[in-house]
Amino acid sequence: MIRNYFKIAWRNLKKNKFYSIINISGLALGMFCSLLIWFWVKDEMSYDRFYPDYEDIYYVRCNSDFNGKVVTSALTPSPLAEALKKDVPEVAFATKLAYNRDLLINFGEKAGKENGLYASDDFFDVFRLPAIAGNPKDALASPNHIVITRNVAEKYFRDISPLGKTIRLNNDKDYIVGAVIENIPSNSTVQLDWVVNFKETEQEWMQLWGNTMLRTYVRLHPEAAPENAETNMKGIYPKYADMDVFPILQPLKNVRLYSDYKNGKPSGGGIEYIRIFMIVALFILAIACINFMNMATARSSLRAKEVGIRKVVGAARNSLFKQFISESILTSLLGLLLALGLVKLTLPAFSRFVRRPIEMDITDPTTLTSIIALLLITGFLSGSYPALYLSAISPIHNLKNKLKPGFFNAAFLRKSLVVFQFTLSIFLIISMIVINGQMQYMRSENLGLDRERVLSIPLEGELYNKMEPFKQEVLRSAAVENATTSAMLPIDIGSSSGDLSWPGKDPDLQTNVSVMHVGYDFIKTMNIELAAGRDFSKDFRTDSLAYLINESTAELMGMEDPVGQQISFWNGEAPVIGMMKDFHIQSLHMPITPLILCLDPLNSSHMLVKTRAGKTAQAIQDLEKLTRKFNPNYPFEYHFLDTEYEKLYRTDTMISTLIKYFGILAMVISVMGLLALAAFTAEQRTKEIGIRKVLGASVTNIVTLLSGNFTRLVLISIVIASPVAWYTMHRWLNSFAYSIELQWWMFILAGSVAILIAWITVSGQSIKAATANPVKSLRSE
Amino acid sequence: MIKITDLEKFYRTEEVQTVALNKLSFDVKEGEFVAVMGPSGCGKSTLLNILGLLDDPDGGSFIFNGIEVSGFNERKRANLRKHNIGFVFQSFNLIDELTVFENVELPLIYTGVKAADRKERVHEVLEKMQIMHRKNHFPQQLSGGQQQRVAVARAVVNNPKLILADEPTGNLDSSNGNEVMDLLTELNQQGTTIVMVTHSEHDAKFSHRIIRMLDGQKVTENILV
Ligand SMILES: Nc1ncnc2c1ncn2[C@@H]1O[C@H](COP(=O)(O)OP(=O)(O)OP(=O)(O)O)[C@@H](O)[C@H]1O
Ligand SMILES: [Mg+2]
Repeated sequence: MIRNYFKIAWRNLKKNKFYSIINISGLALGMFCSLLIWFWVKDEMSYDRFYPDYEDIYYVRCNSDFNGKVVTSALTPSPLAEALKKDVPEVAFATKLAYNRDLLINFGEKAGKENGLYASDDFFDVFRLPAIAGNPKDALASPNHIVITRNVAEKYFRDISPLGKTIRLNNDKDYIVGAVIENIPSNSTVQLDWVVNFKETEQEWMQLWGNTMLRTYVRLHPEAAPENAETNMKGIYPKYADMDVFPILQPLKNVRLYSDYKNGKPSGGGIEYIRIFMIVALFILAIACINFMNMATARSSLRAKEVGIRKVVGAARNSLFKQFISESILTSLLGLLLALGLVKLTLPAFSRFVRRPIEMDITDPTTLTSIIALLLITGFLSGSYPALYLSAISPIHNLKNKLKPGFFNAAFLRKSLVVFQFTLSIFLIISMIVINGQMQYMRSENLGLDRERVLSIPLEGELYNKMEPFKQEVLRSAAVENATTSAMLPIDIGSSSGDLSWPGKDPDLQTNVSVMHVGYDFIKTMNIELAAGRDFSKDFRTDSLAYLINESTAELMGMEDPVGQQISFWNGEAPVIGMMKDFHIQSLHMPITPLILCLDPLNSSHMLVKTRAGKTAQAIQDLEKLTRKFNPNYPFEYHFLDTEYEKLYRTDTMISTLIKYFGILAMVISVMGLLALAAFTAEQRTKEIGIRKVLGASVTNIVTLLSGNFTRLVLISIVIASPVAWYTMHRWLNSFAYSIELQWWMFILAGSVAILIAWITVSGQSIKAATANPVKSLRSE
Repeated sequence: MIKITDLEKFYRTEEVQTVALNKLSFDVKEGEFVAVMGPSGCGKSTLLNILGLLDDPDGGSFIFNGIEVSGFNERKRANLRKHNIGFVFQSFNLIDELTVFENVELPLIYTGVKAADRKERVHEVLEKMQIMHRKNHFPQQLSGGQQQRVAVARAVVNNPKLILADEPTGNLDSSNGNEVMDLLTELNQQGTTIVMVTHSEHDAKFSHRIIRMLDGQKVTENILV
């Protein structure tokens, strides 16, 4: 029986090729989006779930009070891990991780930079990573030992066993390879290729509770309740540090997607983008289903006769229902196969784009279930209304072949669905325009410092040791305009301190000031404008203790004329020698905050070189030569500051590109539906068009008549989509501290694009109908 | 008003070529009422389509109001048509989605008459066709005779010089048919030229002259008055 249904369904699909192709390809595109997003979401959701007993692992954050508001920090002080293990009975193991670093590794002739970190003893008890050779736990606990991954082992040792071999780290200290572990899967929030005990890098000042610079993770006992652990953790800061700070636990599996905290509670993060794209994918699928429904009901009048005859010869309503559902499921199935093919084709590009090795494993049970669910849901969603509608038709009506509006007006429903489709498409187009505008703005916005033609070179090995002679040689190159050194790149100054104080400061006021150590000529090289005072200068020996502040700092301290005033900060009590105009110290997501520059060339890790216009290639050549001369053990490495700046917007760029593609897809599917509907309408109205032509209507009259109806629908969509898009985009722009304004032309542009596209789609069919000979259409009566 | 000479029309469908009109010639004078008769398939509708400038002949000459119109392009034909010719069809050919009023108003819209004038003119003809009380009804809500009266109203609303009627009573019973024939006669008496295709000898008697056709050719002509 079922076979028979599908046989007839197949015949029907073949008979109406034009409509079948539009339906199948529309559904395929919709399903393609859904599948792509499914694989992406699945990958994002898989983060950190491969660790054995990952449910017991927690990331420790700290809540503290800042001028009356609870702020949550992701970094924690060094003594916290030991205190947690000692004082909180629920904690079985606790480990702390220093930030990841790219350090030079040498073994014999081989040298290269590898990313790794320093971690404390319990690391492998918290993260139970599988060992290939040796015992990682013991290796980490023994002095002068290093644990490496399979990657590093294969790269440096190839055929020989790495265990017991000595490698040099950072061109500085030798370590014995104590164990080799499996490569860390890319869906781990902790990444490393080597790990050395934290004791090897620990300094005395790190022992302070006020220095938050590490990531702390704990593993609870399997049956322990995290709430109890959190309660017990409340006593730690008061006991050891006399501070009102409360450590809290975040399940490891949430670290990737719930990174934002507000008022001490998780408030989202990457999960929001996942939600947005899941919704967008569903919308696109809905648009495709709507095409199917619309065509099916529109064409129902043509099939009314078939239904009538079937009923007259005894078909029950439910067998007719099954017949029509079979047709839509068959269409969905063909769409699904096409969609899977498309996913397979585009997955490599998509993976590169989201920077994740996304796999399409359809044998995976959850994926397989979802695909089958997708097939059935799409089939039923798009088939059920037409099936109900058609199977309900009474045979008397049908045989007369005149289909009067049924239990509710199908034409009205059809129009509403077209409006719905275009509302979504226009919404996406507006979003596309706004997001694109904001991206442009971020790229071109004047940061207040000049990031163009600035190269950064990491100061490592001899470059660090001979920083000053190296700088002098660099300046000698004709292609170089200026050079300076700094502790971090001035486009993303992350370090901050609460230590600022000044005469007359309210003792209750808590401050948080960004800090950066710089060398001489920083202001000049970066082209930062001074509002008052001067840059650090070798002519004043006392400058090594002085401070350069920005306008925001002056405002924070309530000083009209800060130059010459004594303030107290990291160098102790010392004068402010200059005030910089405010410049952006982070991405435009962040507001400009108070900033203090301290002169300390020895604290530098980058040299910033400003090249002369048009001489950048020459400068790079000169710099390479110099680096090779000074630092033969290290590979020559440089970055462009503006490229590094772009990287701050990687997520934004990704979102913007995805929205662009999805917006276009939504539009394409909507247009396909409109095309089919227009073709059908024109076909339906041939007689009317013929009469009108006989009565003197011109081609233009007819085209306007036919296209006008659709244009009206698109206009309604614009009216609905605009406020929704305004609201959503307004909220999105608010996530930036600095953003463009929403402009009315963005909405007009989106609307015009939609109307234009709809018009082109529809008028093709309308012109065809309008230029047909009326004699023919009237003859068919 | 109409002078056709050696008019030809062929239809090609795949390999078969049908000769619909075969060197047909006749004249129609201004103010005349001519009936065209003949068996099914002899080319009557084809002739009417050409006279109505809906179709182009394949050969011969067609002079309308002193102008040679065969070979006119679509736009020129449409322009001439909408100002000079009204049509009445066997199957009424009203637009189902429009009301009686709107159906009759259509030709005026396409000739660019102002809305206020349109209303006045439509009311005038609806009165005359005695269908005014149904002006807001849809075609489906009317009887066949009423529908054909609407169709005639629509054909004359522009004051055309020529009315072409293709079996105007073909779908009507005899009393409704007679009503329509009376209307046409009245229009003719007011000066409108009429060419009517019919199968009914009874209806043909309303005309001045009957042209009988066979296989695309004129066979006889009877003058009745
Ligand atoms: N579009 C067409 N394509 C092919 N052949 C056609 C076409 N229109 C008419 N014919 C043929 O031309 C001939 C004349 O047709 P026409 O419609 O003029 O006949 P008629 O005299 O009006 O017949 P009836 O009295 O049945 O209406 C017929 O043989 C018909 O089959
Ligand atoms: Mg005919």
